[in-house]
Amino acid sequence: MCVGVPMKVVEINYPMAVAEAKGVRRTISLMLLPEDEVKEGDYVMVHVGNAIEKIDEKAAEEIWQALDEVLEALEGEG
Amino acid sequence: MEKIKELVNLIHSLAPEDRKIKIMNVCGSHEHTIAYSGLRSLMPETVELVPGPGCPVCVCSESDVINAINLSKRPDVILCTYGDMLRVPTRIGSIRSNGGNYKMVSAPHEVLKIAEENLDKKVVFFSIGFETTTAPTAALIETGIPENLFILTSQKLTPEIMEVLVKDSEVGVDAFVAPGHVSAIVGSNAWRVFPEKYGIPTVVAGFEPENLLLAFVRILYQIKEGKAELENVYKGVVRPEGNRRAQELMYKYFEKADVNWRGIGNIPKSGLEFRPEYAHLNAKAVFNLPEIKEEKIPGCICDRVVLGKAYPTDCKLFGTACTPRNPKGPCMVSLEGACNIWFRSGVKTA
Repeated sequence: MCVGVPMKVVEINYPMAVAEAKGVRRTISLMLLPEDEVKEGDYVMVHVGNAIEKIDEKAAEEIWQALDEVLEALEGEG
Repeated sequence: MEKIKELVNLIHSLAPEDRKIKIMNVCGSHEHTIAYSGLRSLMPETVELVPGPGCPVCVCSESDVINAINLSKRPDVILCTYGDMLRVPTRIGSIRSNGGNYKMVSAPHEVLKIAEENLDKKVVFFSIGFETTTAPTAALIETGIPENLFILTSQKLTPEIMEVLVKDSEVGVDAFVAPGHVSAIVGSNAWRVFPEKYGIPTVVAGFEPENLLLAFVRILYQIKEGKAELENVYKGVVRPEGNRRAQELMYKYFEKADVNWRGIGNIPKSGLEFRPEYAHLNAKAVFNLPEIKEEKIPGCICDRVVLGKAYPTDCKLFGTACTPRNPKGPCMVSLEGACNIWFRSGVKTA
């Protein structure tokens, strides 16, 4: 539940937005960030469908890489 | 890989020879990385990595779950909650096993559509968790919620339970790895009390193995130098002051309250309940829900596991009578529960 996923914001209709990670698009809420803080193309850390913080692309990539490792481990299990 | 080797070498050279250091994490995702990356096996004998209260599902009070089950059995109600909550056992079974009207959501805003599509029903969102899920619930309310939507809260505060742990001499925590994403909300400054008041080194960390190892290095370095400081090695995501807007929204709708932690009991000011002016949204008030005295699960030591007083493998039920497929206690249900993580990742001993 507390697993955070970095996503790229592709379309904003504040407070809602469409964000993308690994080719998957989801509707997220930007309500926890000020309206002028996030622009299309920015990266955000998403928790239970809410952007909780704006992050830079480098941080997003590092976290994705780590998540990939966990996902691989889970797949290997099952 | 080279970097990991380097960090592990540093950990070995910094670790004391003559005393044991207990480093506690308070986040299921940290425990996940530690277990799946086998970080325990890389530690020197004197460094113990202890999973703490990092699983919100595990500490959600039985009373709140029973109230949710009973609501889901009312013909006029649809109960919505996160997937893990559907399988949490109570004396009357789980939400799922009771077969009432329930729907799984993965984000609070998904309940809006359910409420709009079911105007003849009362939709109840069972909002459980730490700050990372409470802030999104506050965001949902701020967005504006329809008249047929109510919220059943079981919301807990992380810094408060950590302070309980520090004061409990049986646990004996030497250092904390603070949870990266809770910190994004509350700010790294929220942990300042641990080094400053209790002399416990505390390092905010992210979730990659390298980042966690770096946190351990910083902790062991502080201990070697006889220091206790607050550090943040997850700077790309966590700011000292945290997410101010998220904090404002949480405290706009909720206030600190004495709440029950499963197996642990009532802890003063350790949770967030609705402010009286929002009672019309509060399912506990609207449906007049009782506080039900907890009944312990026979044989389950989840309460001790959550507090870092026992390891999952210390439990007689672990891996035999209690498995992720047939969980007896909440720590085996949740993907963030230490028992579930240890079982699935194949950890056999501490």
